[in-house]
Amino acid sequence: MLLAAVDYYRPDTLAEAVEALDSTEGARPLAGGQSLISILKLRAASVDLLVDISRLEDLRAIAVADDGSVRIGAGVTYDEMAMSPDLHRSHPRLSQVAAHTVDAQVRNRGTFGGNLCHNDPINNFPPVAVALEATMHVTGKDGDRDIAAADFFTGYFTNALSSDEILTGVTLPALNGRHMGYQEIEIGEAAARAVAVVATSNGNIESASVALGCLPIPVRRPQVEEALAGTPATADAVAEATAAAGEGIEPLSDADASADYRQAMASVVAKRAVMEAIEGGQNG
Amino acid sequence: MASGPGPTQDIEFTLNGKPVSRTASSRMLLIHFLRDELGLRGPKIGCDTGHCGACTVSYNGKTIKSCMALAVQADGAEIDTVESLAGESGDLDELQESFRENHGLQCGYCTSGVLMSAKFLLERNEKPTAEEIREAIHGNLCRCTGYVNIVKAISGAAHGDEGLALVERLNREHAKEVSA
Amino acid sequence: MTAPAKEQTTTTTWTGQSLPRKEDERLLKAQGSFVDDEGMYRQGYAQFVRSPYAHAKILSVDVSKAEALPGVIATLTGDEVKAMTEPLFQFAPKEDGSQVNEYLLGVDIARYQGEGVALVLAETRGIAADAADLVEVEYEPLPVVTDGVAAAEPDAYVLHDSLGDNIAWKGLFDWGDIDWALENADHILKIDKLHFHRYSSTPIECNAVIVNWDPGTDMIRVVSNNQFPMFGALVIGPSMGVGTDQFDFVSQDIGGGFGIKINSYTSIGVLALLSRKAGRPVKWIETRTEHHQSGGHGNERTFLDIEVPVMADGTMLGFKMRAFDDAGAYLHYEPLGAVIWSQVVPGPYKFKHVQVDYTETLTNKCPAVPNRGYSRMQHLWFVERVIDLVAQELELDPVEVRKLNYVQPEDYPYTTPNGCVYDSGDLPQALDMVLEMIDYEGAKKLKADREGSGKRIGIGIGTTLDSGTNNFGQSRILNPELPFSGNGEACTALLDLYGEVMLKLGTNPQGQGHETTASQVAADILGMSPETIRVWTGFDKSHSTYIGFSGTYASQFAVTGINAVIGAVEKLKAEIIEVAAYAFEVEQDQVELVNGDARIIGNPEAAIPFIGIANMVFANNATLPHEMAERVSLTCRHVYVPPFELPDVEKKYGNLTLTYSTQTHAAVVEVDEETGKVEILDYAVVDDCGKRINPMVVEGQVHGATGLGIGAALKETFEYDEDGQLLNSNFLFYHAATAMDVPNIKTSHIESPSPFTGTGAKGMGEGGGAPLHTISAAIQNAIGPGKAIVSDSHNPPERVWRMLNWDGPAEERGVTVVSNGDGA
Ligand SMILES: Cc1cc2nc3c(=O)[nH]c(=O)nc-3n(C[C@H](O)[C@H](O)[C@H](O)COP(=O)(O)OP(=O)(O)OC[C@H]3O[C@@H](n4cnc5c(N)ncnc54)[C@H](O)[C@@H]3O)c2cc1C
Ligand code: FES
Ligand code: FES
Repeated sequence: MLLAAVDYYRPDTLAEAVEALDSTEGARPLAGGQSLISILKLRAASVDLLVDISRLEDLRAIAVADDGSVRIGAGVTYDEMAMSPDLHRSHPRLSQVAAHTVDAQVRNRGTFGGNLCHNDPINNFPPVAVALEATMHVTGKDGDRDIAAADFFTGYFTNALSSDEILTGVTLPALNGRHMGYQEIEIGEAAARAVAVVATSNGNIESASVALGCLPIPVRRPQVEEALAGTPATADAVAEATAAAGEGIEPLSDADASADYRQAMASVVAKRAVMEAIEGGQNG
Repeated sequence: MASGPGPTQDIEFTLNGKPVSRTASSRMLLIHFLRDELGLRGPKIGCDTGHCGACTVSYNGKTIKSCMALAVQADGAEIDTVESLAGESGDLDELQESFRENHGLQCGYCTSGVLMSAKFLLERNEKPTAEEIREAIHGNLCRCTGYVNIVKAISGAAHGDEGLALVERLNREHAKEVSA
Repeated sequence: MTAPAKEQTTTTTWTGQSLPRKEDERLLKAQGSFVDDEGMYRQGYAQFVRSPYAHAKILSVDVSKAEALPGVIATLTGDEVKAMTEPLFQFAPKEDGSQVNEYLLGVDIARYQGEGVALVLAETRGIAADAADLVEVEYEPLPVVTDGVAAAEPDAYVLHDSLGDNIAWKGLFDWGDIDWALENADHILKIDKLHFHRYSSTPIECNAVIVNWDPGTDMIRVVSNNQFPMFGALVIGPSMGVGTDQFDFVSQDIGGGFGIKINSYTSIGVLALLSRKAGRPVKWIETRTEHHQSGGHGNERTFLDIEVPVMADGTMLGFKMRAFDDAGAYLHYEPLGAVIWSQVVPGPYKFKHVQVDYTETLTNKCPAVPNRGYSRMQHLWFVERVIDLVAQELELDPVEVRKLNYVQPEDYPYTTPNGCVYDSGDLPQALDMVLEMIDYEGAKKLKADREGSGKRIGIGIGTTLDSGTNNFGQSRILNPELPFSGNGEACTALLDLYGEVMLKLGTNPQGQGHETTASQVAADILGMSPETIRVWTGFDKSHSTYIGFSGTYASQFAVTGINAVIGAVEKLKAEIIEVAAYAFEVEQDQVELVNGDARIIGNPEAAIPFIGIANMVFANNATLPHEMAERVSLTCRHVYVPPFELPDVEKKYGNLTLTYSTQTHAAVVEVDEETGKVEILDYAVVDDCGKRINPMVVEGQVHGATGLGIGAALKETFEYDEDGQLLNSNFLFYHAATAMDVPNIKTSHIESPSPFTGTGAKGMGEGGGAPLHTISAAIQNAIGPGKAIVSDSHNPPERVWRMLNWDGPAEERGVTVVSNGDGA
């Protein structure tokens, strides 16, 4: 389990990083390395140059805007997310998820941006970005652009970036009184995962955004969201509205669980995530 | 050049409080650098995928798995390994002593990594609960102890004598909580 | 070093105390020495080239590109190995002499994914890895056999032409009169199939070897973490055409073994050949993926057509079944597993009538090797599954059925239907204790309260036996020609030149604390503190003491190792006293040993420190009578030999093990109906291993075995797809239990001394797989009657979910009860 020959470069600025990615065939950004180094150990990808972006200051801030939205730098580690009082105030459940992602060592190294870019179906954050309708900020040789989370994930381990582009940060809209639920079935890393962002008033669900993870592309569930809107915020009503959450998805089958099971569990975690969001609302 | 041909970089960093300046192959993992080039025995290798934690070291004050970082990434960093725990005198520190007293190790292969994770926990959380201890070491696999005495040893170091009683009590409470 | 300060008097006993271990200080300070911490001058790094196919003809192996890479020292192919060596010794060839032909490297055909087909040696680990990628192997895939039962079918594709079929060993075990029992029982419980899954204790340190075949002396120095090197030497020596005297095996600290590390002997052999070819020392550190694919797996066993005769009150008369063990592609230590289970035929129960039609097959999987609880836990899991199903299907109380059928305290020593002698125990008391520890009544109430909540409570009990100190004579049941029987261990106790006490053991422990426990018993005999006794760390064949059985395996140190220590130290004590008595000019019975002095009883002033005794023998021997000076060496070796006889091979009858520790486990679990997830709410163990030399070490072993068993029950499995590809080839998909998976384990104990071991101690450590029994039972209890039965030892969420949602016809539940009188 040793890497094939590879070169390493640690630029001081984002511009230098983009330049290196653009000008070198086979160059790849290295963030926390918690996925990329595994891949290199398995010699499963050939990379000629690692451009280490893990220390770029531009990528390392968490900033809350006046409208309550929060911008998380792509290079912010899970641990930094978990320890950020700002994120804890603006998106408490996300802060909690970060605090329990994998283990202490991976949290100290793995980055929010790397997690999203890598888009491994086991990864925690892709469905969070989709459910929250996050905006992904990207810098490349042609300048900056924004990509909606829904358009960012393109398949297993792939995203909408071109090879010279770097994800610099992600803006999560303010919750504005909504609450987030995050539920998964932990088998291995995870066999099913759902994120729900729900607004309630007077015991009814006003609006809900529901996304499923553990899939090649995290997906929203518009039918479920429609069914939830306007129903009472009760266990029975939520169970009914989310019963079909897994319909039409094509999860993988592997040593951990079959596609059938994962599909059935998609509805279970969707229901639980919505209920968690509702209960979060009730508990303040 | 233990990893063979390919590009190299000059790196400087602090290891257990002492400066190191070397040339490292770009493809070399930090764990191999620490073991094969610098001759440390503490960090161990137990897996290929970053799951076992035997290689855990402290990197700028935070634990990382040194098999999931490149040696060249050590440049400019402060790295501490289990070798830093026992003082100059060679005496076991409090945490190590608690592992000895509570039989927190058997084969000892996971122990360096477990100690580093425990130390990181205790730096942040002086009085962790049994559950917090379990969370803090769950990136460290141990196949010998069933973790029972590891949890006890960390709790003992944190809470002194009451630590052990506390673990028992917390576990009972946890059992009740789960069943409540 | 801070052993409890304690005024040492002759009446103090160290045995039985929870002393902190001698080993710990060095391990805590990273001053242990594991194989990868060591090296040899001029060593190269080896890397195996392994078959990606589960079954394929090896058409060609081209090493030319690899050899051309700068930094590559040598390569070795299967063809070369075939030319240099003989096939490995097999335990049980068929009567016509046909057998598996295995070489130290894959030759002509690769028979499992990960089988080594070539080796490269290079100046660095990195170059070795690069060079291995350059070795070009042409394969022609062959049909793949992955089902251990189907492998026995006459039309199954045959793995080894030399064997003729895929049957490694087959035999009928028949004790008592099962036909009578089936005719006379009130009920017969029939179970279609039970399956014990493949997994491994996966030590965190993988296999590792540094070997130098010295061209000048022809000595082969092997620094490795193999846990039973004597066995390895016996198998690979003849294949390589070398004498066992050429091997020097060395190990210090070993990062867990659990039986799996017996298996590295083939790697040791082929790496030695590479060293000879290269004229250089060779270092090889197995990767985790290699370890999972080829390091060795525990035995997988399938039980079919099970019939259990039961009386109306729940008294079970025995059972009948067919068992299939899946040995994988080659027989490494196997087919010993085909008889080892018969150490515990009736489990902890008094069943008299047992018939097992046993078959061990070969499949295109990693070879099965001993894994903590080897071969007995598969059988004990079966027995516990049967007893729980009897209780459930006949609507009896699982506690009462157990108590009714247990071997009772007054029955010991109890002879089983196949002649094994259970030495001691108190199972009913252990069960009562463990139930109290989990608050059985409270748990039952919780179960009732939770009904309809979506979370079900299950309560499970698992009783198991940890049989220790094998009678290797049982191997003759496989092959009456085998020249093996008995067991034993050696120890040398000595005074060094300045009177320091030192012990040399034959074992090579992997965390079991032998340095500590050996020093405790020696301390009591010599009247000194364990701190002042040095136990030689690790094993080195060139100066350690050993016999053919030496090693650390199969729950036996507390008996064989400790008795060897006692014997050797007693001899040393006698010599010290003899010299002292001569010097004092008193009778020997007037001399006692206290705190490192020999003194005249009742006269503490008259004392000779051990340095004085050593001086007289080693450097001042003209002061002694010549006869004594020549006879007394202060270097005393003892070999402990347990009292075994040869078993009756025809009847498969005899005492196969010296001691039987018991463990009784109980668990309360919560099963999530929606997901099938099982959470352990409470877990308790009552252990009875007779006299405990160091209770803390014993408890550590209980915790460890329990942790591994819980992992295996819920998370850990090796599964292959139909192409023979391993689905769990590293920790990404092999979910080794973490600190979040193993609950706090409550422990308590009973001490029922063994009448057969002198000390009353029994072997322990393997643990008998009790968590697998217990968690299967708890899940069964949560699911309840009328549904599918728990028929597998591994129960991940999806499997439990499927059982909960099972709605097939009653006859497909996998279990039926036929009552004699119902016209059966
Ligand atoms: C034992 C273990 C268990 C794990 N379990 C989980 C789990 O349960 N859940 C989970 O979410 N994750 C899990 N992970 C993965 C971990 O979270 C990774 O950290 C994450 O997938 C990638 O983040 P990284 O910063 O480490 O990125 P890297 O590994 O450095 O990079 C990953 C990929 O993203 C690209 N990339 C990274 N950052 C950028 C950027 N800013 N712009 C453009 N491209 C970029 C890289 O080029 C690379 O292709 C686990 C990891 C380990 C070691
Ligand atoms: S060796 Fe680093 S996590 Fe296993
Ligand atoms: S003590 Fe052996 S792996 Fe932890």
